[in-house]
Amino acid sequence: MKVPLPVRKPQAASRKRLTRRDFVVSATASASLVGWLGRLAAEVPNQPRPKACILLWMAGGPSHIDTFDPKPDAPANIRGEFKPADTSVPGIQISEHFPRFAKLLEHAVILRGMSTQESDHKLATFHLHTGYQNRAGVVAFPSLGAIVAKELGKRDVALPNFVAIGRGPQEALSAGFLGPDYQPLGVTDPVRGLDFIEPVGPRQEFDRQVELLRQLEKPFHEAHRSEAGGAHRSAMERAVRLMSSEQKQAFDLSRERDEVRVAYGRPAAGAAPKRGEKNLTATSGSFGQGCLMARRLVEAGVPFVEVVMGDGVGWDTHRDNFPRTKALSLECDTAMSALVEDLKTRGLLDTTLVVWMGEFGRTPQCAGGGRNHWSKAWSSVLVGGGIKGGQVVGKTDRDGAAVTDRPISVTDFLGTVCTILGIDYKRKNHPAGVDRPIPIVDTSKGVKVISELL
Amino acid sequence: MCGKTRILMALAVVIAAGRECRAAELDNAELAALIDRHIDARLKTEGVPSAAPADDAEFLRRVYLDLHGVIPTSDQAASFLADSRPDRRARLVDTLLADPPYGEHLADIWQGYLVSPLADDRQVRADQFRKWLAERFNTKTWDRITTELLTATGKIDENPAVIYLIEGRLPRTVVDLTDLTSRYFQGVRLSCAQCHDHPLVAWKQQEFWGMAAFFTQVQTPGKSKLVYQVGVKDYPELTLNSLKDGTPDGFLSRPPTFLGGEELRGDKTTNRAALAAWLTSAKNPYFARAMANRTWWRLFGRGIVNPVDDMHSANAPSHPELLDRLARQFAESGFDLKFLTRAIVSSRAYQRTSRPGDAPDKQAALFGRMPVKVLTAGELYDSLVAILGAPMRKPGGPRVDTRAEFVQFFSDDGDPDPTAYRRGIPHLLRQMNSDQFVGRNVAALSARLAKPGRSADDVAGDLFVTILSRPPTVDEQVLFRAHVTRAGSLETASRELAWALLMTSEFSLNH
Repeated sequence: MKVPLPVRKPQAASRKRLTRRDFVVSATASASLVGWLGRLAAEVPNQPRPKACILLWMAGGPSHIDTFDPKPDAPANIRGEFKPADTSVPGIQISEHFPRFAKLLEHAVILRGMSTQESDHKLATFHLHTGYQNRAGVVAFPSLGAIVAKELGKRDVALPNFVAIGRGPQEALSAGFLGPDYQPLGVTDPVRGLDFIEPVGPRQEFDRQVELLRQLEKPFHEAHRSEAGGAHRSAMERAVRLMSSEQKQAFDLSRERDEVRVAYGRPAAGAAPKRGEKNLTATSGSFGQGCLMARRLVEAGVPFVEVVMGDGVGWDTHRDNFPRTKALSLECDTAMSALVEDLKTRGLLDTTLVVWMGEFGRTPQCAGGGRNHWSKAWSSVLVGGGIKGGQVVGKTDRDGAAVTDRPISVTDFLGTVCTILGIDYKRKNHPAGVDRPIPIVDTSKGVKVISELL
Repeated sequence: MCGKTRILMALAVVIAAGRECRAAELDNAELAALIDRHIDARLKTEGVPSAAPADDAEFLRRVYLDLHGVIPTSDQAASFLADSRPDRRARLVDTLLADPPYGEHLADIWQGYLVSPLADDRQVRADQFRKWLAERFNTKTWDRITTELLTATGKIDENPAVIYLIEGRLPRTVVDLTDLTSRYFQGVRLSCAQCHDHPLVAWKQQEFWGMAAFFTQVQTPGKSKLVYQVGVKDYPELTLNSLKDGTPDGFLSRPPTFLGGEELRGDKTTNRAALAAWLTSAKNPYFARAMANRTWWRLFGRGIVNPVDDMHSANAPSHPELLDRLARQFAESGFDLKFLTRAIVSSRAYQRTSRPGDAPDKQAALFGRMPVKVLTAGELYDSLVAILGAPMRKPGGPRVDTRAEFVQFFSDDGDPDPTAYRRGIPHLLRQMNSDQFVGRNVAALSARLAKPGRSADDVAGDLFVTILSRPPTVDEQVLFRAHVTRAGSLETASRELAWALLMTSEFSLNH
């Protein structure tokens, strides 16, 4: 069922400059915007809005065949129970359980040629997030979010440049050698909001404590003048600043109107997980609210937000593949369609790249009602960010087992994402203690940017 | 380094070495004196002044954190600060090395290095491994521990050392085991040579694969993916060629070859046992140096060779003779880590203040003062518990586990620079505002101290000693008295002071 979003006055699809009128529209259209436009308003007029990226992480690895690469001609034990459905782009079909997203496909590119090496959850999750496999090595590789935060984020702002919503894959979300400034701020439960943003006691007491702290600190810092001390104090001041900022409202979904929250798919109150569906916990459904928070954060100027769907490894459907994939698909469809529509309505879609992916696909064969891990051929989806939508890139064979056209490696994929965002993926970092420069995306085996979507 | 400096340095070393021609075993005091001769000679030739000695409170907190991974309790602090015996520092060091937390702290550090962050149930594995390792560090020498790790077989429950060898549901890859074993036990980064000869260094691709060939025999029975249940064994028939289906980058077929080029010859033991025997022999040129440098790095925040695990001909030590002597004495002691540690922390160099005064930047680089280190996640948690007691759980609230969750949240993987503060907004928000520690625990502490009849100075004194392991200065007492007026009551003011002290850089750092 499609729930129409409350439509505000439509804005130009691409915000090339901020006019006075835009300010008025933005500032009056929604109460939620008032106050935390700070960063947007600070933009120099005539500059295009910097790009942002929202990564919708499908933890566990969704089946490509049951989502974006249906195989109606394959034998029954491969094509599965779902039917392919037409989309707004003639000739492109996706699973019937993404009905709302099917109508938005002109904005999307489906990459059907994903072909990667790792088929263990943790190793694959790390590889897809960092672009590197060297997991025991000397180099602590940064996650995509940290890379984007560093390349596109502003310094000296109250909001952090990388936010991770939901129970994310900790080890794959690290800023690595890029350091603490790019470490993600985690929001475990978007409905609850940001943890630890309010003091334990009364605000007045907190302010007095901070003042006392500043006085107490002085002699130590004057006597030691240490880098570690400086870094600690600066992190403390930034945290205090966020607590006192109006931008922290970006984390507060109660400021959105109810229709908007419902449009993204509100978690059913008290809906108990079905028997046997151990991964669908009571918090299932919070993905939509996470997407809504991501939109609010991007609007407030945060360049990278990762929203995790499938608490733990929800898409890991070794059993009950069809009922679980159906439920997850429908929840995902509502959330990501609302996100895309909302970004479009607000004129943010052209500058916001939405990435939908998991760590791998799933086997063509269903054994015992489930599908297992499959990294040789799978799909991801890109939406917005100024790409040429309405395309499928790459092709798999009849059974979805192998890529027959346009294989895409992890580095091809990340190189493309960076290019869309305006980041030079060949740029090298020089981490301390490592005697070689590390390119943002590993170029040692060549990177083939998917140029047809640019 | 310019040529002139090099000559001066060599000269200083020759002079110093002349005084210590007795190559035989040194006792702790002699080794500590030797350390100081080397450090001081170098400072002198470079014209860099050394910092003043640390006072008792500064030494106390530092040595507790470095040896036990936790600040002293207020009782421990008070009793040491009241001790006027001239040998009180040496006594304290002896006690700390003899107490179980010494091994537990080292175990905590080493599980972070050796347990794969990508292991299934990492926390369970880390706990098993830590427990095993703590007992080892308290009772065994480093060569024994290393041998047990490198040659581990069997099931995890029977032999937790096996955890070093696993990741995911499988044995660790040969490539990873090669990398880890070379970095942590030999102090060299062979992985640079996995795919091509290193441009600057002696390591060649064939050396990487020669080392890798020692690990090919580690496998689960039937290559089962149930490594947590079935454990690992050695399968002599497995060689580098038998893993070729995975084709790691830069693959080169090589027989097992020790670093330096000597091939393994018809040994009756397993490849891993042969590697361990070679590595832990007193003559091995890498093993003792690697641990001597790493121990120095841990205690001084900076290695004699930096990065700590990147020893090679083009990366010269800052104090070459000193590193040679430390390695030799460590080997001669039978790889007794307590011996090495006791000597380092007994040196004047270790016992200097971390306040730079007017000194140039070079002072820290030459170990003329103690650098400021950052409390590790484990040190932070354990210190908070030492001050505030175990974290309180909110009734009906989420299960706040404890140390494991806290450490995961605050920690850095790998070998982070001990002097780099690598935490940001998320961590500071949690430190300031999480009920885990600073809510009721802080209230309970201040209520206990701010009893009727006690003065502001009494309470401030207790809080400073409890949290910062030192008495307050006069200025700090004055500050707190003024704060009591602002806050309206001694109890409120005490609670606020406790919070503020816990948020200071002084508390989060090991200075």
